[in-house]
Amino acid sequence: MGSGLVRLILIRLAQAGPLLVAVSLIVFALIYLAPGDPVRTLLGAKPVTPEAIAVLRERYNLEDPFIVQYLKWLWQMLQGDLGRSISGNRRVINIIAERLSISAFLAAMSAVIVLGAGIGLGAWAALRRGSWIDRLTVTSGVLGISSPPFVTGLFLLYLFGVILGWFPTFGAGANFLDRLWHLTLPAIALAFSVMAIVMKITRAAMIEAMVKDYVTFARARGLSARRVLLQYVLRNALIPVITAAGLVIVSLVAGSIYVEVTFALPGLGTLMVDAVSKRDIPLIQGTTLVFSLFVVVANLLIDILYTFIDPRIRFEGVKS
Amino acid sequence: MTLPEAIDAHPVRRVSRRLAQMPLLVALAFVVVCVVVMCAVLAPWIAPYDPSLQRLDVGVSLPSSDLILGTDTLGRDILSRSIHGASTALVGPMVIAAGAFAIATILGLLAGYLGGWIDTLIMRWVDFMHGLPSTLIVIVVVGVIGGGYWVAVAVLLIAFVPSDTRIVRSAVLEQRPRPYIDAARSLGISKPRILLVHIIPNILPIIVAYVAIDFAFALVNLAGLSFLGLGVEPGTADWGRMLSENRNLLLGGNPLGTLVPASAMILTAISMNLIGDWLFEEFIG
Amino acid sequence: MTLASATEDFLTVQDLAVSSGHLVITMPTSFHVARGETLAIVGESGSGKSLTAKAIAGLLPPGVIAKGSVKLEGCELNGLSERDWQRLRGRRVSMLLQDPFTMLNPVMRAGRHLDEVLRDDPMFHDRKARRAEVERRLAEVGINNPAVADHFPFQLSGGMSQRIALASSLARDPEILIADEPSTALDVTTQAEIMQLLKRAQAQRGMSLILITHDLRLAFSICDRVLVLYAGSVVEIGRAGDLGSGPFHPYSAGLLLSEPSATRRVKRLVAMPGRVPVAHAVVGQCAFADRCDWVEERCRAARPALEQRAPGRFTRCLRQPEIQGELDALRHAALEVAPAILARPANERPAIKVDAITKVFAGKTTTHALKGVSLHIAPGESVGLVGESGSGKSTLGRCLVGLETPTTGKIEIDGIDAHDFEALQPDDRAYLRRTVQMVFQDPYSTLNPRHSVGKTLAESLRVGQFSGDMNVTIARLLTEVGLTADYAKMRPAQLSGGERQRIAIARALAVSPRLLVCDEPVSALDVSVQAQVLNLFKDLKTARGLSFLFITHDLAVVRQIADRIVVLYLGEVVEEGSVDQVLSEPQHPYTKRLIASIPASTKHIQGAAEL
Repeated sequence: MGSGLVRLILIRLAQAGPLLVAVSLIVFALIYLAPGDPVRTLLGAKPVTPEAIAVLRERYNLEDPFIVQYLKWLWQMLQGDLGRSISGNRRVINIIAERLSISAFLAAMSAVIVLGAGIGLGAWAALRRGSWIDRLTVTSGVLGISSPPFVTGLFLLYLFGVILGWFPTFGAGANFLDRLWHLTLPAIALAFSVMAIVMKITRAAMIEAMVKDYVTFARARGLSARRVLLQYVLRNALIPVITAAGLVIVSLVAGSIYVEVTFALPGLGTLMVDAVSKRDIPLIQGTTLVFSLFVVVANLLIDILYTFIDPRIRFEGVKS
Repeated sequence: MTLPEAIDAHPVRRVSRRLAQMPLLVALAFVVVCVVVMCAVLAPWIAPYDPSLQRLDVGVSLPSSDLILGTDTLGRDILSRSIHGASTALVGPMVIAAGAFAIATILGLLAGYLGGWIDTLIMRWVDFMHGLPSTLIVIVVVGVIGGGYWVAVAVLLIAFVPSDTRIVRSAVLEQRPRPYIDAARSLGISKPRILLVHIIPNILPIIVAYVAIDFAFALVNLAGLSFLGLGVEPGTADWGRMLSENRNLLLGGNPLGTLVPASAMILTAISMNLIGDWLFEEFIG
Repeated sequence: MTLASATEDFLTVQDLAVSSGHLVITMPTSFHVARGETLAIVGESGSGKSLTAKAIAGLLPPGVIAKGSVKLEGCELNGLSERDWQRLRGRRVSMLLQDPFTMLNPVMRAGRHLDEVLRDDPMFHDRKARRAEVERRLAEVGINNPAVADHFPFQLSGGMSQRIALASSLARDPEILIADEPSTALDVTTQAEIMQLLKRAQAQRGMSLILITHDLRLAFSICDRVLVLYAGSVVEIGRAGDLGSGPFHPYSAGLLLSEPSATRRVKRLVAMPGRVPVAHAVVGQCAFADRCDWVEERCRAARPALEQRAPGRFTRCLRQPEIQGELDALRHAALEVAPAILARPANERPAIKVDAITKVFAGKTTTHALKGVSLHIAPGESVGLVGESGSGKSTLGRCLVGLETPTTGKIEIDGIDAHDFEALQPDDRAYLRRTVQMVFQDPYSTLNPRHSVGKTLAESLRVGQFSGDMNVTIARLLTEVGLTADYAKMRPAQLSGGERQRIAIARALAVSPRLLVCDEPVSALDVSVQAQVLNLFKDLKTARGLSFLFITHDLAVVRQIADRIVVLYLGEVVEEGSVDQVLSEPQHPYTKRLIASIPASTKHIQGAAEL
């Protein structure tokens, strides 16, 4: 079993490889995707001088064939050299490092809300099927799936920030508690739509599990209600929730971009959107790489976690 | 001998009976969608002002008897802009949902019914696309290409195909091992005819339900791109665009400039989701 | 009405009625079970037997409620709180369900299902002691390899899972076990083993047992008393021997006669017309009135009471005393043996010849479904292909109609090489399609749900190069399978399982085939409907001179319908011969095992015939 697990993890790693290559290829190709000459794109608003052009050609190996350019670029990336931002002429990696903490804080806060409230409310609704809490959960689920984070964010901002004045409407906060206070509304806005998915899946999976034969049979043998709920219903209901975790991660990452723009937070998301609007290619490449790397690695971890939760995957893996 | 309650065999009557039993909420959803469609089609006639008419002398103003929902910083009428915004909110998502499913249906049918290496190839591609952070890539690609409504629509359409393909394929796979397909095969009925006469009618309800759900999702995504300044051209009356243009009016000025388009968007998306869920439960579940 | 609720009665059920909202599922039902006694609750689908069982154990699904009283040694069970139930279940009342593949927690190791029940017992607080006890309990259900405890349910076979489930339902040594179709989902030979284990465990513990089943043979073979449930009403209760040899209710009589016998071939099965109504529709009358040959005005006037007519025997039939003679006579007539099957001339040219075909399914694990199977079918002959799941019997049938292509070997149909349909000339292929047709097992997905019956038949007729008036021909086909022309307008969702299967037969007949491959065509149907469909096959055989390949696991069905038997085991033919020869004097050990696993009660039913 142990070796099977190791093998399975290796297979997953091998599958993540091509994904990373594809992402990097797309990111690299962005230079060429932009309309016009890559040199002009990379120059941005800087004056077109022969020296500047020469520097760029040197840096991006524009004389080489495409694939060599890509490989050289990739090598630089792997060494942590993400290039220099066009607009600020600063190292991209430093800019990203500055912005990372806010985004990470926001994502972590949202993830806690999504998992805690999403699974909790979904399970509660399933257990009290037909009650007011169930109806509230289902209705807010439809609402959540239909309202993107930037719209939820604007409503929250107006209601709790402007009208009630409970939360700040600007900034990311200085120390931990201050930051917690500043990021509460953004985190809720970000969590709301993603939570709806988790809630919906948890509720449906719980309801499905509760009428399964194994639950009836467990009750028929006199097992305690607690044990039936935790070991039989919840344990099985969580499998589809974990399957959806990949979707949750992608939604959180994408949503964080919108939320940061909505609340004007100086995070990675706003950095990326600024870079996009300024056509700052190195900065776009850097931010996209960081986001994608995060998504691919998170998905990898979820896949591995999944094999622990569902024995069927683990053993089928051994058989093949 | 007792027959089951469903005595009437006529398909039209069956559908109409189900329509008659539609829950109130779903009926309201249909009303909302109809209103939005009417706004989109009749905008030039029902909007009180030209949506891009700037009145810098008026500037930001709160609702008044003349301007029911007030104006934005450039003095443009919020009501007129919201009504005109319905068209970009409908056309793009419609193209995305229908287009993505048209492609996905072909791929899903090929993968699900033919199986073999075609299936492997298509599903490898689908799995691969699923591993990519698609929303992120959409933002970057649309941004770098230079934005524009139809660029955004096209990129989103492509991004929607993989998950739709998976839906169609699993629906086909559910039908394929059923004996009625085997019976048709053993009668010697041709593959195209089996797909057309036996499989497609049985998976169509699933597709229709998901087109509605996809529509809501596309609406939100497309508006999101416009919100980031990557969708419609600047100045266009578009709900997503209005949100970013008027964001600061929330803090002071005319909050309706954001609240109205935001509500319109959420209402439309909720309605389409409700309709999709209802179709799913009524005609499939 | 009180049913002999003497003090020694262990479990007393009084006026137990199950309903969902305003919908009646069962009418008030009363019975009792003595300590150590085995009671069978027998009924077809829709009789309410399963929900009655769940109502006794307090395990009704949400939205379904039970009224009335269930007393265990005087202690009322119905309406107990979940907390009180927890203390009773497992120790006093336990339950075993039908499907071994869904009964165990898929993410929990097999042994844990026992371990977690034993855990509360102070004797087994120690982990080692508990492990030893788990092993002992597994040995009790015939699992001598303790490593099985560490397997996950999906790694176990159905029989193995059912043993684990049985051991775990018995782990706290309950005083009464309710077993809901515990062996139905299993292969015949495994069925017999599970029932043996169950009986042995019962005897050792002096436990009472309520066995819910649709299988009359099984009920008579292992139960002391039998309760017959029909459309939510108890129609008869009696000792197994009495009920088996002379039922007091026309429905019990009909049910007994519909059950095909594995030991003798009858001319024609007695098939009750129509189908089981929903309980709700027959609340104020005799539930069976609409299908009964002896029905009178008063049967519909009110719901008859369950009355005692002989010691320990109760029936709900008003007319039982006057019609008992007729019921008995009917049984004599029905069991009249069909004439012996004539041996076929030795030099007869077979219509279908299968020569040493193999079929290998490649995949994660390669499966050898068929390992060199040969058989032949003469024109007008019925061949029964018998085997359990995994024997390859369905694969063989699918090869004959071109749904699968054998890996090696030859298939010859009417002189055409038919091993690969795709490789044939279009004309030959079309000819074969019209020569061999198939009827499938699952009546609920055998028809395209979006097509009306007429459309389904028309499609088939067009394939058969039909010319003439479509509607007339469709009507004729429908009549031929025992339906009326009105069915053409209906959709599958409006039809019962038996009706759908008839349409599927009509669809196959539309191309006027000469061989019908029937893959378990009646196994999903209730006994009374099964008899109707089997009779239809008999009629078609005579009327159309059709050949049949009858694929089934049920030896009784084969006995009634086939001339010759081919026994398939793990992809190989292990025995072949005439029905009488194979079923009466089996040679191969596997065939012997198959025959031995038929519940032995048939003697009750047979005994009646020799009255």
